Amino acid sequence: MKSSEKLIETIKQQDIRPMPGWYYFLKNGLLWASFGFAVLLGAMAFSVILFAIQQADFNVLGHLSHSKMEMFLGLLPFLWIGVLLLFTAVAFYSIRNSERGYKFTLAKQIGFSALLSILLGTLFFIGGGGRRLEQAFATNVSLYESIQERKVKIWSMPESGYLSGKITEVAGDHFTLEDFKGKSWEIQYGDTTFIAPIVQMEVGETIKLIGKMADDTVFKANEIRPWGGPGQRHRGRQSF
Amino acid sequence: MIVLKEICDKHSDLEIIQKSLAEVDFFSCLYERYEARLLRYIKRLAYLSDEEAEDILQESFISIWKNLRGFDQSLKLSSWIYRIVHNQAVSLLRKKQSHGEKDRVDWNDTIGSDIPDETVMGLLKEGQDIDHDTHALLERLPLPYKEVLMLKFLEAMSYEEISDVLKLPEGTVATRINRAKKAFRQLADAQHLHFEL
Repeated sequence: MKSSEKLIETIKQQDIRPMPGWYYFLKNGLLWASFGFAVLLGAMAFSVILFAIQQADFNVLGHLSHSKMEMFLGLLPFLWIGVLLLFTAVAFYSIRNSERGYKFTLAKQIGFSALLSILLGTLFFIGGGGRRLEQAFATNVSLYESIQERKVKIWSMPESGYLSGKITEVAGDHFTLEDFKGKSWEIQYGDTTFIAPIVQMEVGETIKLIGKMADDTVFKANEIRPWGGPGQRHRGRQSF
Repeated sequence: MIVLKEICDKHSDLEIIQKSLAEVDFFSCLYERYEARLLRYIKRLAYLSDEEAEDILQESFISIWKNLRGFDQSLKLSSWIYRIVHNQAVSLLRKKQSHGEKDRVDWNDTIGSDIPDETVMGLLKEGQDIDHDTHALLERLPLPYKEVLMLKFLEAMSYEEISDVLKLPEGTVATRINRAKKAFRQLADAQHLHFEL
């Protein structure tokens, strides 16, 4: 018996049938859906990372009495970095297993997956998506410590030289500030104090201070900055 | 029942696929069209006997049959078929190696004299006991080098086709071929054989 005959006999005897067309359609569809889904979620994570960086005040590291590395690590949004990495890996896996994915080098496969998330994530961030997502997370996930909560924690260490809160009264060379725990402070400042140009020193304005605690209720400010990220000013009620 | 060669010859690969899906007997056309070169490729790649090579080919064609509707028509059918056959052969080769089977069929038994002129052999400058020497050298190369040299020189495939068979980017194929040629040349020099690749 010829080999080709043997093959046809085997196929007929064992009733081996080609997989249906929809199987491949579904397989490819699922692969591309998982790619799109992963890129989208990666983009969301990246937008939150950008929001965290915007809020993180990395420039205060130079003033810190704590270990700089410790504080730096404390400021990084590891959860969201982890989420971004996870979904980049899923997107990479989807490209790699797509029909023509092998045409791209490993670097291109990873780069393409990450780049799409980064581009989309930047757009989300510009549209305020990062902040909203982060806030939604903070509201709905009890174990999650929000970026704002972490920021408040860092800026509520007067004994280490960090204080923040809302201006309640302004008078000459000092003003009164209510911190996030509701405690009232007298803030002293002078000609040598750096005041960020965007800070208006108005009642209701939320600010953060770098300086020294003079006593239990008095804080001498060396720097006065707006509460929001660099260049942002918050007035009145905080959003967290 | 298989379809007569005269009828098979009237149809292109894609037409045969379409006809096979309607009538399985037409699938024999595809088998017969590729049988000789694939058997030769399997034997060269995995040092198998005729029987083992034929088993691999049968298994591969069963797999091709099962996945016939999944064939991406932007590929050359031959590249897709080679990919499936290659994977089956390499899988068996690895299985044998992991079981410590080192006995290989002698080159002279597995490799016929039907190696095309445009192959590595055709690029040799000096004639010697060419078949045996060349293949003995190929055998000493690591699989990633051996497979690209075989596809490029013995199967006369383009970079794009090799890329589709091995599922590698074309750049990687080119790099690997260059390295494989160097390795091959070094081995040849060590044996005082004269090849030009």
